[in-house]
Amino acid sequence: MKSRGAVTLLAPAVIALTIFVVLPLLWVVRTSFNQTVDGAYMVSAFTFENYTRFLGSSWYLINTLWFSIRIAVITTLISVLLGYPVALYIAQTRGLQRSVLVTMVLSPLLIGLVTLVYGWIVIFRGGGLLNSLMIALRVYDEPVRYMWDLKGVIILLVYIGMPYIVLSLLDSIERLNPSFVEAARNVGANRWKAFWSITFPLTLPGLYAGLVIVFTLNFSAFAVPLMVGANDTQMIGLVIYREALLNNDLPFASSLSVIMIAANATILTGMAFVFGKLILNRLEVKR
Amino acid sequence: MRMPDMGTLALRVFTYIAMAFLFFPILITLLVSVNPREFILPPSGFTLEWFKAAWTSDTFVRAMGVSLSLGLVASIIANTLAFLAVLAMVRYDFKGKAFINLLIMSPLLIPTTIFSLALYVFFARLGFGAGIPALIIGHSIHVLPFAVRILTASMQNFDTSLEEAARNVGAGPLRTMMSITLPVIKTGLISSFVLCFVLSWNDFPISVFLAPPGWTPLPVELFSYIKFQYDAVGAALASSLIIISGVAMVVIDRMAGLRRVMQR
Repeated sequence: MKSRGAVTLLAPAVIALTIFVVLPLLWVVRTSFNQTVDGAYMVSAFTFENYTRFLGSSWYLINTLWFSIRIAVITTLISVLLGYPVALYIAQTRGLQRSVLVTMVLSPLLIGLVTLVYGWIVIFRGGGLLNSLMIALRVYDEPVRYMWDLKGVIILLVYIGMPYIVLSLLDSIERLNPSFVEAARNVGANRWKAFWSITFPLTLPGLYAGLVIVFTLNFSAFAVPLMVGANDTQMIGLVIYREALLNNDLPFASSLSVIMIAANATILTGMAFVFGKLILNRLEVKR
Repeated sequence: MRMPDMGTLALRVFTYIAMAFLFFPILITLLVSVNPREFILPPSGFTLEWFKAAWTSDTFVRAMGVSLSLGLVASIIANTLAFLAVLAMVRYDFKGKAFINLLIMSPLLIPTTIFSLALYVFFARLGFGAGIPALIIGHSIHVLPFAVRILTASMQNFDTSLEEAARNVGAGPLRTMMSITLPVIKTGLISSFVLCFVLSWNDFPISVFLAPPGWTPLPVELFSYIKFQYDAVGAALASSLIIISGVAMVVIDRMAGLRRVMQR
């Protein structure tokens, strides 16, 4: 009797999500087997040709799928390298300083891509700030191209990914019992040793959570390569966008989405396995 | 109070550099938008002329109207669905709760590219294609998990004995809801509404897939503007978006804690 109330309350959200999330996703899978006919919209069919067109082409495999995986891996790793120290520092701060830092880290997430890209265009341009700075610092002599270039895409993906890494690491650093680190220091471990043997292994779950978010985000990115990428920056999300909206080839775009989800799931499973091992190994050592 | 050692100092310097990296593009946009001489930095004075140009352009005013109504409608839909669902999730115990929770959070778990494409393909199948209904539904569903998260937090702290007391003195369910439940979780509702609005207001990926021609939200309009034109009017428009987001961030942080809200 009590659960009747729950059913009534849940019904609107559950129905909305089923109709507008679950069904559309299933429909994407179905559409991926449809046939694309030149000039016509699409024809209901059951063919694998959309898949073979992508998976059978070494150009697509290398320049789109493998390229996207590489970019996602690189940008995710850079985000971790930048984000870890920031999370460590924020965890040590208190009160107002902490809330100011957290707000600064989070602001790019709420401000929105196009707005941020505007600022980056000013920084990236040929005679722009980044080039002036680099030339003044003697890093290089001639202006370098960031806009409409892979370099710009990488910088922006790191920029957007880093806050998520900081956030999930901060969460697990705070859960860490400080007496563990103190104990390690008391028995003579230096800062590095204490970090590698205590803090790092115990924050692996938080690191993993951050990696999952940022890898998925960057692997499927289409807005960033659309806004600052070049012609050779064919990330898979961008190809999906173009096929669906510009070429109106919904079956091909759908099959690419299925391939992307499958590739993402495979990589995340591998990552879960590696992290599981790492965490287990560390626990064994502790015992 | 001991002096910070070398390690902490190094961390602090690194963090400040990283903060500069995160905040620089935002600062630059704000500076360019009030600088009388286009793009020549540092600014040589202060002007609101670019803002005036941005806010009087027919295209932008129209796009602002679109974004404003889209954000309001999406927030109302998302918060209504979320409020009812959270009420059930917090107060009832039932089988399949974990599964329902997964379903409710699913819009956050699916890459935005796939979510937008799926809705686009689905609406095309229904014979509508990209259009106002698709856009409103896309935005509402996308912000729903955020609303659920904030409302869950504020409802968990809710003392149900207040409601019981109201019922005991003879208030009906509706009366109890209006005079006890809603006022108590008011801050949660407001911050959830503000967050949903600002996420919708700034959204680009979903809008670019689902917005019909002639009903373009502001970020998509800004995107097509800066693609062809590069002037300080674009900066003024971007700055307007930043300022509104900044105000929203302060409100959310005060009421619900920004960090908890954005955690995935």
